[in-house]
Amino acid sequence: MNKQEKYKEDLLKQYINPERIEKAPEGFTSKVMMRIQLEAALLKAAGRLRNKNLVPVISAAITILLIVAAFLIPGSETDLSALPVVELIKNIKVSLPEINLTSIFNFNLPGLLIYVFIGILILTLFDRALNMLFHREK
Amino acid sequence: MDYKGDILYIEQVLAGKSNAFSYIVDRHKNKAYNLAFRICGNHEEAEEVAQDSFLKVYRSLKGFKMKSSFATWLYRIVYNTAISHVRIKKKGVLSLEDFPADATDFIGNNTSEEEAEKEYRSSLINFALQKINEEERGLISLYYYEEMSTDEISDLTGISKSNIKVKLFRARQKMLEIIEKVEKKKLIYHETHMIDQNYNHY
Repeated sequence: MNKQEKYKEDLLKQYINPERIEKAPEGFTSKVMMRIQLEAALLKAAGRLRNKNLVPVISAAITILLIVAAFLIPGSETDLSALPVVELIKNIKVSLPEINLTSIFNFNLPGLLIYVFIGILILTLFDRALNMLFHREK
Repeated sequence: MDYKGDILYIEQVLAGKSNAFSYIVDRHKNKAYNLAFRICGNHEEAEEVAQDSFLKVYRSLKGFKMKSSFATWLYRIVYNTAISHVRIKKKGVLSLEDFPADATDFIGNNTSEEEAEKEYRSSLINFALQKINEEERGLISLYYYEEMSTDEISDLTGISKSNIKVKLFRARQKMLEIIEKVEKKKLIYHETHMIDQNYNHY
């Protein structure tokens, strides 16, 4: 630092008093903490809302997937094989595993109802499990 | 500032005790507020900036590397928040007329002439600070008020050491020019005042 710069620095120091600190106003800490708590509460509420919406969305997605899968998985001796989608899948070299659905479609209505009820029961249990998982308090 | 104390409270906050953050705020609030005030130039904005800065610190506490200084990290956040705040809220340029020419304007009911002079000088320096740009204002505050070295300022602002020296030199020059102008105005005011008094006397 040359002489002129030093002179200017000293001159400015005459006006600046580093001990004169502008102190934070009364209640500053409590205001900051209040904002933090408010933000945390808002984030928690937003998370809960998101999780609440997530459960039916996941359930619906899985149900749709199961329904689509039921139509797409090719059965060996059923009418479903006539579907163009099934035809398309059959042409793919890596095919999906075959499930024999003949027995299901040969059932009469009361016989089929048992399976429907079991299906509903499984889906309900699955829904409850998801519900518990996403509503668990952190 | 006790560095280990900061780490202790940070660890508590990260462990889920969010109330421990109030100790951190208490320890650093005055320095953070002071820096924000020097850059913003008024108490309302300084409080807003200082609060926002602490909130940012709280949000990103997980990302803080315990090996570095917490105070430097905090002041970096305050500095950047204040600079961005001022840039968004660009205010009109103050004119010399905005500053009172008479030091007696700073004498309150119970203040001595000496205290009034101190108050005058402090207000004059704040006025000069408001006349330079926000970055220079920040650097002057860190250098003179926080008494940081150019190395520390470089670490905090990310500006090279040589660049800081150049910027400080320019800012100093600008401020001294402003101070000189105000002092001249004050001198003229006093001279005219004296002439008026003498004229009335005769």
